[in-house]
Amino acid sequence: MRTLPPPPGWSAFAVVMHGLGAAMMFALLGLGWTMVHAGLDMARTFDMFQLHKSLGFVLLALTALRLAGRARQPAPRPAPAPAWETALARFVQGALYGLTGLAILLGWWVASCSPLPVPTRVFGVFTVPNLPAARPDLFAAARLAHEAAAYAIAVLAGVHACGALKHALWNRDDTLRRMVWPRS
Amino acid sequence: MSKSLYPAPGRRLAALAFAAAATMACPAQSVSRWSIDPARTQIAFEIDAVGYPRTHGEFRKFDGRIAIDFEHPDRSRVAFRVDSSSVDVGSAAFNDYLRSVAFLNDEKFPEVNFVSTSVEKLDETRVRVTGDLTLLGVTKPLTVEVVVRREGEGGRQRLVFGAETHIDRLEFGMNSGYPIVSRDVDLKISTTALDR
Repeated sequence: MRTLPPPPGWSAFAVVMHGLGAAMMFALLGLGWTMVHAGLDMARTFDMFQLHKSLGFVLLALTALRLAGRARQPAPRPAPAPAWETALARFVQGALYGLTGLAILLGWWVASCSPLPVPTRVFGVFTVPNLPAARPDLFAAARLAHEAAAYAIAVLAGVHACGALKHALWNRDDTLRRMVWPRS
Repeated sequence: MSKSLYPAPGRRLAALAFAAAATMACPAQSVSRWSIDPARTQIAFEIDAVGYPRTHGEFRKFDGRIAIDFEHPDRSRVAFRVDSSSVDVGSAAFNDYLRSVAFLNDEKFPEVNFVSTSVEKLDETRVRVTGDLTLLGVTKPLTVEVVVRREGEGGRQRLVFGAETHIDRLEFGMNSGYPIVSRDVDLKISTTALDR
């Protein structure tokens, strides 16, 4: 449905946003797991929760910007591959976008439903209001849904990274290289 | 380095009276006044939460007065004043949250107070202190068993007190997070008093 021909590579904006998004998602998954399962003392845990919430809201804004950029600029043509591989890659990429948004919104819902209402201060700069219709009795369900979305992201990010490595090491095409170096 | 002046079997609070009185060189007065040593005082608390680690915290600013009548232990008095804003759980953001209206509400209630109403000697090393605890403007009775130990030889005399108790925070209207955050708050107070 695109009228523009696919560009030869990703823009600098797309490359930076992809790298930043990946790093933040990696940090969020690591923090999220650690603050719930590592059994650190409560002070560290509290700080990690606040950082996790701050990073989540920044990533939500970045992802929205990234999707807006993606809508304005079409993706480069995928490297030649069997149709099922291209379809799988597209599905994983789409699901990563969707789940990123969903996981963060669910996280926002968890914070809103929390029976211990800790204000969400994004890096101490401003306070994010609670979502409407949030109730403490929905807290456990919200947390489970947020966790499920996070694990799904971890699995899909693994599949996505394996795909990129396969392109680089097996097919020896420029799929990974052009995601790291923007087109000139 | 603590060492009792008295061998264990003969150690009595009454005996302390003579030593304290002699130290102060005013044997006529049976009530001795002690000031707490902030460097050797810890007002700590612990609280559980379901699915979260136990929270350990302390109050850093406080003062206290202790008056001991070794001949009539029941006439002894103790009063503690704790600065709510001095709560410290090891995280600045968490401290701010605990100071907020959700918990200590330090702007409206800057102090937590304990004033004894009666002191009962249980044995040579233990006393039961009953008093009123005021938290969030609500005053409730609190009974604490206190272990007393004497320290210091030659120089200034010291009395070391240790007490553990717990309060039900719901009684004081501190409801935030219940039942995820438990209603019981353990208190651990240790202090050293120096004779004045």
